[in-house]
Amino acid sequence: MAHILVVEDDEQFRGMLVQMLTQDSHRVTIAHDGDEGVRLSQQLRPDLIITDIIMPHKDGIELIMELSNLSVDIPIIAMSGGRRAISAEFNLESATLIGVKSTLAKPFTRNDLRQAIRQALA
Amino acid sequence: MKHIADSYFRILEQVVFADDSELVELNLSEAFDLGRSLMEEMTPPDEVIQIHHDAIVRLAAMYPDLPFAKVAERITKPFMEMSMAYGMAFREQMERRYQAMIISRLEQSRLEAVGTLAAGIAHDFNNILGSIVGFAELAGDELEVGSTGQGHIDQVLIAGFRARDIVNRLLTFARQSPTNLIEVDVVSQVKETLSLLSVSCKPDMEIHFKSDLDNALILANPGQLQQVVMNLCINAADAMNHKGHLFVSLEFCNLASREHETCTNAVCLTVKDSGHGIPPDVQDRMFLPFFTTKAPNKGSGLGLSVVHGIVTQLGGNITVQSRYETDNPGTEFKIFLPLADKFTLTLNRDAQ
Ligand SMILES: Nc1ncnc2c1ncn2[C@@H]1O[C@H](COP(=O)(O)OP(=O)(O)OP(=O)(O)O)[C@@H](O)[C@H]1O
Ligand SMILES: [Mg+2]
Repeated sequence: MAHILVVEDDEQFRGMLVQMLTQDSHRVTIAHDGDEGVRLSQQLRPDLIITDIIMPHKDGIELIMELSNLSVDIPIIAMSGGRRAISAEFNLESATLIGVKSTLAKPFTRNDLRQAIRQALA
Repeated sequence: MKHIADSYFRILEQVVFADDSELVELNLSEAFDLGRSLMEEMTPPDEVIQIHHDAIVRLAAMYPDLPFAKVAERITKPFMEMSMAYGMAFREQMERRYQAMIISRLEQSRLEAVGTLAAGIAHDFNNILGSIVGFAELAGDELEVGSTGQGHIDQVLIAGFRARDIVNRLLTFARQSPTNLIEVDVVSQVKETLSLLSVSCKPDMEIHFKSDLDNALILANPGQLQQVVMNLCINAADAMNHKGHLFVSLEFCNLASREHETCTNAVCLTVKDSGHGIPPDVQDRMFLPFFTTKAPNKGSGLGLSVVHGIVTQLGGNITVQSRYETDNPGTEFKIFLPLADKFTLTLNRDAQ
Protein backbone atom coordinates (compact mmCIF):
# COMPACT_ATOMS: atom_id res chain seq x y z
CA MET A 1 0.00 0.00 0.00
CA ALA A 2 1.77 3.15 1.12
CA HIS A 3 5.06 4.02 2.79
CA ILE A 4 4.18 5.98 5.90
CA LEU A 5 6.47 7.90 8.23
CA VAL A 6 5.13 8.09 11.78
CA VAL A 7 6.55 10.96 13.85
CA GLU A 8 5.51 10.46 17.45
CA ASP A 9 7.35 10.82 20.77
CA ASP A 10 4.99 8.71 22.90
CA GLU A 11 6.34 5.19 22.64
CA GLN A 12 3.16 3.33 23.50
CA PHE A 13 1.00 5.37 21.20
CA ARG A 14 3.55 4.98 18.43
CA GLY A 15 3.53 1.23 18.90
CA MET A 16 -0.24 1.15 18.61
CA LEU A 17 -0.19 3.23 15.45
CA VAL A 18 2.46 1.04 13.84
CA GLN A 19 0.34 -2.04 14.61
CA MET A 20 -2.72 -0.55 12.99
CA LEU A 21 -0.84 0.60 9.91
CA THR A 22 1.08 -2.61 9.35
CA GLN A 23 -2.10 -4.64 9.77
CA ASP A 24 -3.51 -2.57 6.93
CA SER A 25 -0.34 -3.59 5.05
CA HIS A 26 1.33 -0.20 4.96
CA ARG A 27 5.10 0.02 5.17
CA VAL A 28 5.97 2.05 8.26
CA THR A 29 9.05 4.01 9.30
CA ILE A 30 9.21 5.69 12.68
CA ALA A 31 10.75 8.93 13.91
CA HIS A 32 10.89 9.91 17.58
CA ASP A 33 10.77 13.69 17.23
CA GLY A 34 10.51 16.52 14.73
CA ASP A 35 14.22 16.62 13.91
CA GLU A 36 14.36 12.95 13.04
CA GLY A 37 11.10 13.39 11.15
CA VAL A 38 12.52 16.11 8.90
CA ARG A 39 15.67 14.10 8.24
CA LEU A 40 13.86 10.87 7.40
CA SER A 41 11.33 12.66 5.20
CA GLN A 42 14.13 14.08 3.08
CA GLN A 43 16.07 10.82 2.95
CA LEU A 44 13.28 8.35 2.38
CA ARG A 45 10.58 10.43 0.67
CA PRO A 46 7.65 8.46 2.13
CA ASP A 47 4.19 8.64 0.55
CA LEU A 48 2.66 10.05 3.70
CA ILE A 49 3.71 11.56 7.05
CA ILE A 50 1.64 11.13 10.18
CA THR A 51 2.95 13.47 12.83
CA ASP A 52 2.13 14.40 16.40
CA ILE A 53 1.91 18.13 17.02
CA ILE A 54 3.26 18.45 20.53
CA MET A 55 6.71 16.93 20.88
CA PRO A 56 9.90 17.94 22.64
CA HIS A 57 12.74 19.60 20.70
CA LYS A 58 11.05 20.23 17.38
CA ASP A 59 7.27 20.08 17.43
CA GLY A 60 4.92 19.04 14.67
CA ILE A 61 4.13 22.54 13.47
CA GLU A 62 7.83 23.31 13.09
CA LEU A 63 8.33 20.05 11.24
CA ILE A 64 5.55 20.88 8.81
CA MET A 65 6.86 24.38 8.17
CA GLU A 66 10.40 23.20 7.72
CA LEU A 67 9.35 20.57 5.21
CA SER A 68 7.41 23.12 3.25
CA ASN A 69 10.41 25.48 3.27
CA LEU A 70 12.54 22.62 1.96
CA SER A 71 9.88 22.11 -0.74
CA VAL A 72 9.36 18.55 0.41
CA ASP A 73 5.88 17.98 -0.90
CA ILE A 74 4.54 15.00 1.01
CA PRO A 75 0.96 14.85 2.29
CA ILE A 76 0.74 15.17 6.05
CA ILE A 77 -1.73 14.06 8.69
CA ALA A 78 -1.44 15.96 11.98
CA MET A 79 -2.50 14.45 15.31
CA SER A 80 -2.92 16.19 18.57
CA GLY A 81 -4.05 15.97 22.15
CA GLY A 82 -3.70 19.47 23.45
CA ARG A 83 -1.77 21.22 26.13
CA ARG A 84 -1.09 24.53 27.79
CA ALA A 85 -4.50 26.02 27.35
CA ILE A 86 -4.49 25.11 23.71
CA SER A 87 -7.09 22.61 22.68
CA ALA A 88 -6.63 19.85 20.18
CA GLU A 89 -8.88 21.61 17.67
CA PHE A 90 -6.88 24.78 17.92
CA ASN A 91 -3.60 23.02 17.23
CA LEU A 92 -5.11 21.12 14.39
CA GLU A 93 -6.57 24.31 13.00
CA SER A 94 -3.16 25.90 12.81
CA ALA A 95 -1.86 22.74 11.19
CA THR A 96 -4.48 22.93 8.43
CA LEU A 97 -3.59 26.56 7.87
CA ILE A 98 -0.11 25.55 6.90
CA GLY A 99 -1.18 22.88 4.45
CA VAL A 100 -1.90 19.74 6.40
CA LYS A 101 -4.14 17.36 4.44
CA SER A 102 -6.15 15.93 7.31
CA THR A 103 -6.17 15.98 11.05
CA LEU A 104 -6.89 13.59 13.91
CA ALA A 105 -7.70 14.46 17.50
CA LYS A 106 -6.41 11.89 19.97
CA PRO A 107 -7.88 9.51 20.89
CA PHE A 108 -9.27 8.37 17.57
CA THR A 109 -10.69 5.14 16.18
CA ARG A 110 -9.24 2.87 13.56
CA ASN A 111 -11.89 4.07 11.16
CA ASP A 112 -10.95 7.72 11.74
CA LEU A 113 -7.38 6.80 10.92
CA ARG A 114 -8.28 4.94 7.73
CA GLN A 115 -10.47 7.80 6.61
CA ALA A 116 -7.75 10.37 7.28
CA ILE A 117 -5.26 8.33 5.26
CA ARG A 118 -7.67 7.96 2.38
CA GLN A 119 -8.32 11.68 2.41
CA ALA A 120 -4.63 12.58 2.57
CA LEU A 121 -3.63 10.28 -0.25
CA ALA A 122 -6.55 11.19 -2.52
CA MET B 1 -35.16 60.58 52.94
CA LYS B 2 -37.99 62.91 54.07
CA HIS B 3 -38.99 60.55 56.86
CA ILE B 4 -35.41 60.31 58.08
CA ALA B 5 -35.16 64.13 58.13
CA ASP B 6 -38.43 64.24 60.12
CA SER B 7 -37.27 61.58 62.58
CA TYR B 8 -34.00 63.36 63.08
CA PHE B 9 -35.73 66.66 63.70
CA ARG B 10 -37.95 65.07 66.36
CA ILE B 11 -34.93 63.51 68.04
CA LEU B 12 -33.10 66.83 68.07
CA GLU B 13 -36.17 68.60 69.43
CA GLN B 14 -36.57 66.05 72.25
CA VAL B 15 -32.90 66.13 73.20
CA VAL B 16 -32.84 69.91 73.34
CA PHE B 17 -35.96 70.19 75.50
CA ALA B 18 -35.82 66.98 77.57
CA ASP B 19 -35.88 67.34 81.37
CA ASP B 20 -34.62 63.93 82.32
CA SER B 21 -31.47 62.21 81.21
CA GLU B 22 -33.22 58.95 80.41
CA LEU B 23 -35.25 60.56 77.69
CA VAL B 24 -32.07 62.09 76.29
CA GLU B 25 -30.36 58.70 76.25
CA LEU B 26 -33.35 57.11 74.55
CA ASN B 27 -33.31 59.68 71.79
CA LEU B 28 -29.58 59.47 71.37
CA SER B 29 -29.79 55.75 70.79
CA GLU B 30 -32.45 56.46 68.19
CA ALA B 31 -30.04 58.88 66.53
CA PHE B 32 -27.52 56.06 66.54
CA ASP B 33 -29.93 53.70 64.76
CA LEU B 34 -30.70 56.41 62.28
CA GLY B 35 -27.01 56.70 61.44
CA ARG B 36 -26.85 53.00 60.70
CA SER B 37 -29.86 53.03 58.44
CA LEU B 38 -28.47 56.03 56.57
CA MET B 39 -25.43 53.92 55.73
CA GLU B 40 -27.58 51.03 54.71
CA GLU B 41 -29.39 53.31 52.30
CA MET B 42 -26.00 54.40 50.98
CA THR B 43 -26.60 58.04 51.87
CA PRO B 44 -23.53 60.10 51.02
CA PRO B 45 -21.80 61.81 54.00
CA ASP B 46 -22.62 65.38 52.95
CA GLU B 47 -26.31 64.51 52.98
CA VAL B 48 -25.95 63.26 56.54
CA ILE B 49 -24.54 66.65 57.52
CA GLN B 50 -27.33 68.33 55.56
CA ILE B 51 -29.95 66.48 57.59
CA HIS B 52 -28.47 67.88 60.78
CA HIS B 53 -28.18 71.34 59.32
CA ASP B 54 -31.78 71.35 58.08
CA ALA B 55 -33.00 70.19 61.48
CA ILE B 56 -31.24 73.11 63.22
CA VAL B 57 -32.73 75.58 60.76
CA ARG B 58 -36.15 74.09 61.39
CA LEU B 59 -35.62 74.24 65.15
CA ALA B 60 -34.61 77.90 64.96
CA ALA B 61 -37.67 78.71 62.86
CA MET B 62 -40.01 76.90 65.24
CA TYR B 63 -38.51 78.27 68.47
CA PRO B 64 -37.25 81.79 67.67
CA ASP B 65 -36.50 82.49 71.35
CA LEU B 66 -34.31 79.40 71.84
CA PRO B 67 -31.08 80.39 73.62
CA PHE B 68 -28.75 78.62 71.21
CA ALA B 69 -25.59 79.29 73.17
CA LYS B 70 -27.05 77.48 76.16
CA VAL B 71 -28.20 74.36 74.28
CA ALA B 72 -25.25 74.11 71.90
CA GLU B 73 -23.99 70.95 73.56
CA ARG B 74 -27.41 69.30 73.37
CA ILE B 75 -27.68 70.21 69.72
CA THR B 76 -24.43 68.54 68.74
CA LYS B 77 -25.03 65.33 70.73
CA PRO B 78 -27.56 63.67 68.40
CA PHE B 79 -25.37 64.55 65.43
CA MET B 80 -22.35 62.97 67.09
CA GLU B 81 -24.33 59.80 67.75
CA MET B 82 -25.72 59.65 64.25
CA SER B 83 -22.41 60.24 62.53
CA MET B 84 -20.59 57.83 64.79
CA ALA B 85 -23.02 55.04 63.88
CA TYR B 86 -22.82 56.05 60.25
CA GLY B 87 -19.02 55.87 60.35
CA MET B 88 -18.98 52.51 62.06
CA ALA B 89 -21.42 51.03 59.58
CA PHE B 90 -19.39 52.48 56.75
CA ARG B 91 -16.29 50.79 58.02
CA GLU B 92 -18.02 47.47 58.48
CA GLN B 93 -19.29 47.63 54.96
CA MET B 94 -15.87 48.39 53.55
CA GLU B 95 -14.43 45.47 55.46
CA ARG B 96 -17.13 43.17 54.18
CA ARG B 97 -16.48 44.29 50.62
CA TYR B 98 -12.77 43.86 51.07
CA GLN B 99 -13.28 40.34 52.42
CA ALA B 100 -15.53 39.45 49.50
CA MET B 101 -12.90 40.80 47.13
CA ILE B 102 -10.13 38.77 48.74
CA ILE B 103 -12.26 35.63 48.68
CA SER B 104 -13.13 36.03 45.03
CA ARG B 105 -9.48 36.71 44.20
CA LEU B 106 -8.46 33.58 46.07
CA GLU B 107 -11.17 31.63 44.32
CA GLN B 108 -10.02 33.04 41.00
CA SER B 109 -6.39 32.11 41.48
CA ARG B 110 -7.33 28.67 42.73
CA LEU B 111 -9.41 28.12 39.61
CA GLU B 112 -6.58 29.34 37.45
CA ALA B 113 -4.10 27.01 39.11
CA VAL B 114 -6.33 24.02 38.52
CA GLY B 115 -6.85 25.11 34.93
CA THR B 116 -3.15 25.36 34.23
CA LEU B 117 -2.57 22.00 35.80
CA ALA B 118 -5.37 20.45 33.78
CA ALA B 119 -4.12 21.90 30.54
CA GLY B 120 -0.66 20.60 31.32
CA ILE B 121 -1.75 17.01 31.70
CA ALA B 122 -4.37 17.02 28.94
CA HIS B 123 -1.87 16.19 26.23
CA ASP B 124 -0.38 13.26 28.11
CA PHE B 125 -3.85 12.12 28.97
CA ASN B 126 -4.97 12.08 25.38
CA ASN B 127 -1.86 10.17 24.38
CA ILE B 128 -2.63 7.57 27.01
CA LEU B 129 -6.27 7.45 25.99
CA GLY B 130 -5.15 7.13 22.39
CA SER B 131 -3.20 4.01 23.31
CA ILE B 132 -6.06 2.56 25.35
CA VAL B 133 -8.60 3.13 22.61
CA GLY B 134 -6.25 2.01 19.85
CA PHE B 135 -5.05 -1.18 21.50
CA ALA B 136 -8.61 -2.01 22.55
CA GLU B 137 -9.66 -1.79 18.93
CA LEU B 138 -6.73 -3.93 17.86
CA ALA B 139 -7.69 -6.49 20.49
CA GLY B 140 -11.33 -6.33 19.43
CA ASP B 141 -10.43 -7.03 15.85
CA GLU B 142 -8.85 -10.30 16.97
CA LEU B 143 -12.16 -11.40 18.46
CA GLU B 144 -15.25 -12.72 16.78
CA VAL B 145 -17.91 -10.20 15.91
CA GLY B 146 -20.69 -10.33 18.49
CA SER B 147 -18.64 -12.34 21.00
CA THR B 148 -18.69 -11.51 24.73
CA GLY B 149 -15.07 -10.45 24.50
CA GLN B 150 -15.90 -8.03 21.73
CA GLY B 151 -18.69 -6.63 23.93
CA HIS B 152 -16.23 -5.97 26.74
CA ILE B 153 -13.87 -4.25 24.36
CA ASP B 154 -16.70 -2.01 23.20
CA GLN B 155 -17.15 -0.91 26.81
CA VAL B 156 -13.45 -0.06 27.05
CA LEU B 157 -13.84 2.09 23.95
CA ILE B 158 -16.89 3.86 25.31
CA ALA B 159 -15.07 4.53 28.58
CA GLY B 160 -12.08 5.87 26.64
CA PHE B 161 -14.21 8.37 24.75
CA ARG B 162 -15.97 9.42 27.92
CA ALA B 163 -12.59 10.20 29.42
CA ARG B 164 -11.68 12.18 26.30
CA ASP B 165 -14.80 14.31 26.72
CA ILE B 166 -13.77 15.12 30.25
CA VAL B 167 -10.30 16.13 29.14
CA ASN B 168 -11.81 18.35 26.46
CA ARG B 169 -14.10 20.03 28.92
CA LEU B 170 -11.17 20.65 31.22
CA LEU B 171 -9.35 22.26 28.35
CA THR B 172 -12.33 24.45 27.54
CA PHE B 173 -12.30 25.58 31.14
CA ALA B 174 -8.58 26.21 31.11
CA ARG B 175 -8.52 28.07 27.82
CA GLN B 176 -8.90 31.66 28.91
CA SER B 177 -7.06 33.31 26.06
CA PRO B 178 -9.34 34.89 23.48
CA THR B 179 -8.51 32.74 20.47
CA ASN B 180 -10.80 33.43 17.56
CA LEU B 181 -13.61 35.59 18.84
CA ILE B 182 -16.35 36.32 16.36
CA GLU B 183 -19.73 38.03 16.63
CA VAL B 184 -22.27 35.55 17.86
CA ASP B 185 -25.99 36.16 18.19
CA VAL B 186 -26.99 35.14 21.68
CA VAL B 187 -30.70 34.95 20.90
CA SER B 188 -30.46 32.49 18.02
CA GLN B 189 -27.72 30.46 19.73
CA VAL B 190 -29.75 30.08 22.90
CA LYS B 191 -32.85 29.18 20.92
CA GLU B 192 -30.95 26.59 18.93
CA THR B 193 -29.40 25.04 22.01
CA LEU B 194 -32.75 24.87 23.76
CA SER B 195 -34.38 23.11 20.86
CA LEU B 196 -31.54 20.59 20.94
CA LEU B 197 -32.10 20.16 24.65
CA SER B 198 -35.86 19.83 24.46
CA VAL B 199 -35.52 17.00 21.98
CA SER B 200 -33.52 15.02 24.49
CA CYS B 201 -35.32 16.05 27.67
CA LYS B 202 -37.78 13.89 29.56
CA PRO B 203 -41.50 14.25 28.71
CA ASP B 204 -42.37 15.56 32.20
CA MET B 205 -40.08 18.54 31.78
CA GLU B 206 -40.90 21.66 29.87
CA ILE B 207 -38.52 24.42 28.83
CA HIS B 208 -39.95 27.93 28.47
CA PHE B 209 -38.04 30.56 26.58
CA LYS B 210 -38.63 34.29 26.46
CA SER B 211 -36.51 37.04 24.98
CA ASP B 212 -36.87 40.82 25.17
CA LEU B 213 -34.38 41.12 22.34
CA ASP B 214 -34.56 40.16 18.68
CA ASN B 215 -30.85 39.69 18.57
CA ALA B 216 -27.86 40.40 20.76
CA LEU B 217 -24.35 40.20 19.39
CA ILE B 218 -21.48 39.29 21.64
CA LEU B 219 -17.88 38.40 20.86
CA ALA B 220 -17.26 34.73 21.55
CA ASN B 221 -15.89 31.53 20.18
CA PRO B 222 -18.60 29.62 18.37
CA GLY B 223 -19.91 26.89 20.63
CA GLN B 224 -19.05 28.62 23.89
CA LEU B 225 -22.54 29.92 24.44
CA GLN B 226 -23.98 26.53 23.71
CA GLN B 227 -21.74 25.05 26.41
CA VAL B 228 -22.94 27.61 28.92
CA VAL B 229 -26.63 27.04 28.19
CA MET B 230 -26.26 23.27 28.06
CA ASN B 231 -24.45 23.04 31.38
CA LEU B 232 -26.85 25.35 33.21
CA CYS B 233 -29.93 23.61 31.83
CA ILE B 234 -28.65 20.12 32.51
CA ASN B 235 -27.85 21.13 36.09
CA ALA B 236 -31.32 22.62 36.43
CA ALA B 237 -32.98 19.54 34.98
CA ASP B 238 -31.00 17.30 37.33
CA ALA B 239 -32.04 19.44 40.31
CA MET B 240 -35.69 19.12 39.27
CA ASN B 241 -35.43 15.37 38.75
CA HIS B 242 -36.34 16.05 35.14
CA LYS B 243 -39.87 17.11 36.07
CA GLY B 244 -41.52 20.52 35.97
CA HIS B 245 -40.88 23.87 34.34
CA LEU B 246 -37.57 25.38 33.43
CA PHE B 247 -37.50 29.06 32.51
CA VAL B 248 -34.84 30.54 30.28
CA SER B 249 -34.91 34.20 29.35
CA LEU B 250 -32.83 36.89 27.74
CA GLU B 251 -33.00 40.58 28.47
CA PHE B 252 -31.05 43.74 27.97
CA CYS B 253 -29.17 45.05 30.97
CA ASN B 254 -26.25 47.14 32.05
CA LEU B 255 -23.14 45.52 33.34
CA ALA B 256 -21.45 47.72 35.88
CA SER B 257 -17.83 47.04 36.61
CA ARG B 258 -16.74 48.38 40.00
CA GLU B 259 -13.13 47.75 39.17
CA HIS B 260 -13.03 49.75 35.97
CA GLU B 261 -15.85 52.11 36.92
CA THR B 262 -17.53 51.49 33.63
CA CYS B 263 -20.98 50.53 32.55
CA THR B 264 -21.48 48.32 29.54
CA ASN B 265 -24.48 47.31 27.51
CA ALA B 266 -25.00 43.66 28.18
CA VAL B 267 -27.34 40.77 27.70
CA CYS B 268 -28.55 38.84 30.70
CA LEU B 269 -29.27 35.14 30.38
CA THR B 270 -31.42 33.75 33.17
CA VAL B 271 -31.89 30.06 33.83
CA LYS B 272 -34.44 29.51 36.55
CA ASP B 273 -35.42 26.13 37.93
CA SER B 274 -37.72 24.84 40.63
CA GLY B 275 -35.25 22.20 41.73
CA HIS B 276 -34.05 21.34 45.23
CA GLY B 277 -31.93 24.48 45.57
CA ILE B 278 -28.26 24.69 46.50
CA PRO B 279 -27.10 24.53 50.13
CA PRO B 280 -24.65 27.30 51.12
CA ASP B 281 -21.66 24.98 51.50
CA VAL B 282 -22.22 23.68 47.96
CA GLN B 283 -22.58 27.23 46.66
CA ASP B 284 -19.14 27.99 48.05
CA ARG B 285 -17.49 25.24 46.05
CA MET B 286 -19.64 24.50 43.04
CA PHE B 287 -17.49 26.43 40.55
CA LEU B 288 -14.40 24.37 41.38
CA PRO B 289 -13.44 21.78 38.78
CA PHE B 290 -14.40 18.27 39.84
CA PHE B 291 -16.70 19.46 42.59
CA THR B 292 -19.91 17.49 42.32
CA THR B 293 -22.64 16.21 44.59
CA LYS B 294 -23.80 13.74 41.99
CA ALA B 295 -23.12 10.02 41.80
CA PRO B 296 -19.71 9.14 40.30
CA ASN B 297 -21.04 8.15 36.90
CA LYS B 298 -23.60 10.97 36.82
CA GLY B 299 -21.51 14.12 37.12
CA SER B 300 -17.88 14.95 36.58
CA GLY B 301 -18.14 18.29 38.39
CA LEU B 302 -16.88 20.22 35.41
CA GLY B 303 -20.07 21.88 34.17
CA LEU B 304 -19.97 25.04 36.23
CA SER B 305 -16.21 25.41 36.05
CA VAL B 306 -16.54 25.38 32.27
CA VAL B 307 -19.32 27.97 32.50
CA HIS B 308 -17.17 30.09 34.79
CA GLY B 309 -14.17 29.84 32.48
CA ILE B 310 -16.16 30.87 29.43
CA VAL B 311 -18.05 33.71 31.08
CA THR B 312 -14.83 35.11 32.55
CA GLN B 313 -13.16 34.94 29.17
CA LEU B 314 -16.04 36.84 27.60
CA GLY B 315 -15.75 39.57 30.23
CA GLY B 316 -19.05 38.67 31.86
CA ASN B 317 -20.40 37.93 35.30
CA ILE B 318 -22.36 35.19 37.01
CA THR B 319 -24.79 35.60 39.87
CA VAL B 320 -26.62 32.84 41.69
CA GLN B 321 -29.70 33.00 43.85
CA SER B 322 -30.94 29.86 45.44
CA ARG B 323 -33.72 29.02 47.87
CA TYR B 324 -32.86 25.89 49.78
CA GLU B 325 -35.01 24.13 52.37
CA THR B 326 -37.92 26.52 51.86
CA ASP B 327 -41.50 25.97 50.70
CA ASN B 328 -40.72 26.70 47.08
CA PRO B 329 -37.06 25.87 46.58
CA GLY B 330 -35.26 26.62 43.35
CA THR B 331 -32.27 28.25 41.77
CA GLU B 332 -31.68 31.13 39.43
CA PHE B 333 -28.44 31.53 37.54
CA LYS B 334 -27.86 34.83 35.78
CA ILE B 335 -25.12 35.25 33.21
CA PHE B 336 -24.25 38.79 32.15
CA LEU B 337 -22.38 39.10 28.88
CA PRO B 338 -21.15 42.40 27.44
CA LEU B 339 -22.55 43.18 24.01
CA ALA B 340 -20.20 43.36 21.07
CA ASP B 341 -20.69 47.05 20.23
CA LYS B 342 -18.72 48.11 23.27
CA PHE B 343 -15.81 46.04 22.09
CA THR B 344 -15.92 47.41 18.58
CA LEU B 345 -16.02 50.89 20.04
CA THR B 346 -12.92 50.37 22.15
CA LEU B 347 -11.19 48.55 19.32
CA ASN B 348 -11.91 51.41 16.95
CA ARG B 349 -10.59 53.89 19.44
CA ASP B 350 -7.41 51.88 19.78
CA ALA B 351 -6.99 51.81 16.04
CA GLN B 352 -7.06 55.58 15.73
N1 LIG C 1 -29.45 24.38 39.28
C1 LIG C 1 -28.90 23.71 40.30
N2 LIG C 1 -29.65 23.29 41.35
C2 LIG C 1 -29.10 22.62 42.37
N3 LIG C 1 -27.80 22.30 42.47
C3 LIG C 1 -26.99 22.69 41.48
C4 LIG C 1 -27.48 23.41 40.34
N4 LIG C 1 -26.44 23.67 39.52
C5 LIG C 1 -25.34 23.13 40.11
N5 LIG C 1 -25.66 22.54 41.28
C6 LIG C 1 -24.73 21.88 42.21
O1 LIG C 1 -23.40 22.22 41.86
C7 LIG C 1 -22.61 21.03 41.65
C8 LIG C 1 -21.57 21.30 40.58
O2 LIG C 1 -22.19 21.49 39.30
P1 LIG C 1 -21.37 21.19 37.98
O3 LIG C 1 -22.24 21.49 36.82
O4 LIG C 1 -20.07 21.91 38.06
O5 LIG C 1 -21.05 19.66 38.07
P2 LIG C 1 -22.05 18.41 37.92
O6 LIG C 1 -23.36 18.87 37.36
O7 LIG C 1 -22.09 17.76 39.25
O8 LIG C 1 -21.29 17.50 36.89
P3 LIG C 1 -21.18 17.73 35.29
O9 LIG C 1 -21.75 19.08 34.99
O10 LIG C 1 -19.73 17.68 34.99
O11 LIG C 1 -21.94 16.64 34.69
C9 LIG C 1 -23.63 19.97 41.29
O12 LIG C 1 -23.15 18.69 41.59
C10 LIG C 1 -24.83 20.36 42.16
O13 LIG C 1 -24.69 19.91 43.47
MG1 LIG D 1 -23.42 20.04 35.56
